[in-house]
Amino acid sequence: MRKIFPAEELARDPRFIRQTNEQRLGDPRGARVAGGNSGDRLAKLTPELANGPDRARALMHGIFTGEIQALEGAGRTCWDFEVGEDVPLELKLDMARQCWDEARHCEISVALAEHMGTELGEFAENGLLYEAACNPDPVLRLTGVNRALEGLAIDVFNTMKEFGNLAGDPVLEFCEDWMLADEVTHVKMGSDWLRQLTANDKERLDKALEFQKVVDRLFSFNGFRGEDDDSPIQLTRRFRELAGFSDDEIDEIADMSREARVEAAG
Amino acid sequence: MTETKRPREPFAPWDRRALPGLFDVEETAKRVGHYKWVELKLFEALGGWVATVPELDIKMRLGTHCYHHAWHAELFDKRLPELREMKTDRLTVPPNDHMVAFIDAMTEPEGPTLTIEKLVGVYRVLIPHKIAAYTYHRNATSEITDMPTVRILDFILQDEFNDWREGEMLIQSMIESEEEIDRAMVHQTRLEKLMLAAGGIAGPGSIGDPYVDLPEEN
Repeated sequence: MRKIFPAEELARDPRFIRQTNEQRLGDPRGARVAGGNSGDRLAKLTPELANGPDRARALMHGIFTGEIQALEGAGRTCWDFEVGEDVPLELKLDMARQCWDEARHCEISVALAEHMGTELGEFAENGLLYEAACNPDPVLRLTGVNRALEGLAIDVFNTMKEFGNLAGDPVLEFCEDWMLADEVTHVKMGSDWLRQLTANDKERLDKALEFQKVVDRLFSFNGFRGEDDDSPIQLTRRFRELAGFSDDEIDEIADMSREARVEAAG
Repeated sequence: MTETKRPREPFAPWDRRALPGLFDVEETAKRVGHYKWVELKLFEALGGWVATVPELDIKMRLGTHCYHHAWHAELFDKRLPELREMKTDRLTVPPNDHMVAFIDAMTEPEGPTLTIEKLVGVYRVLIPHKIAAYTYHRNATSEITDMPTVRILDFILQDEFNDWREGEMLIQSMIESEEEIDRAMVHQTRLEKLMLAAGGIAGPGSIGDPYVDLPEEN
């Protein structure tokens, strides 16, 4: 088996349809519609919105495919790097633990998607998350995946948990709360390893944080996630703090979203 | 002196654990190092395969099992310093080159149509050999002096049995034609030969030697 497995070769059964990010965001049922920045197209996700339930279904399907790729990415980190030469054993043990967590998240999210009336493959998948997990530097990989993408997952799960609460769906709320706990753990793993592996390497630290920003920007989807009242996905300060983010870092993500939103509107 | 009803024996009548065991500290550390190496290689492979397997249920099972074996590696890693091996990497080695060849062959399949081969290598060859070696160690070591290893092996064996059963069921569910039976058997035979050459996961003597040495006839 090769080291570094390309995103375009990720193994899927025929029900899955791969799209580019642009194509997926153009899906009118999607959680965020590219090009629009007003009205309910960019409103906070609530059951009362006319397209709220469909958005939630699309988002849950996106969570499911994201969890598959997160599982694949963590698995590849177990395989791609050598203990001692590239990474400490403990880092790989963390990634193996994350594999188990992501496998459970796949099970939870596919069951929740069905619970919400969605068929597997009803919405398309894009390989962006896994692509971030292909970085050949383990520090950059963990920073991009565990801090940027799993950080986004914190925000998404908290939003879905609130959606479950507002919709009177205790199953959704219960499951999202559990997944949220795991995601905080994963982000903290990323924060801890970033600090530990770059303790004496400022250049690598800067490169990793820059990579995190690139990934955060890619997934900001024109201001999709932010602190404004009408941001579809709400930035979750409390859980990010628990996961090792400083106030400055959270401010920076909020600013980035705001800028992306202005840019998209302009 | 505390008043008791009557003095009691240090070992209860039902406690038949004995002091002697087949492995001294050095031999135990050596074996535990080999076990850790094997668990390490296994969880790495299971993690790597997740992205290459299109069957959704199997993809998720591999992710779950990946952690089980990582946890086993961690348990063995923590045991090594207790066995006077402070540089744990020194003993985290394969027992011989044949075992390396076995792992190389087991982890060779990558394509999305090779799920049967991936599962057969793990669940029909490696895990049964692990169960055998761990059971031998668990039964042959001193249950008093080496109880920490016994306890670790008990936890691990529970996982191994569960994972083996689940993996075997996945294989049975994947095999739907005579050609697929042949594929499974060919791959299993190839790997079993390599394992035979290795002498088991801890090298020759992995499960002891059941044969009797007879005196040579004049």
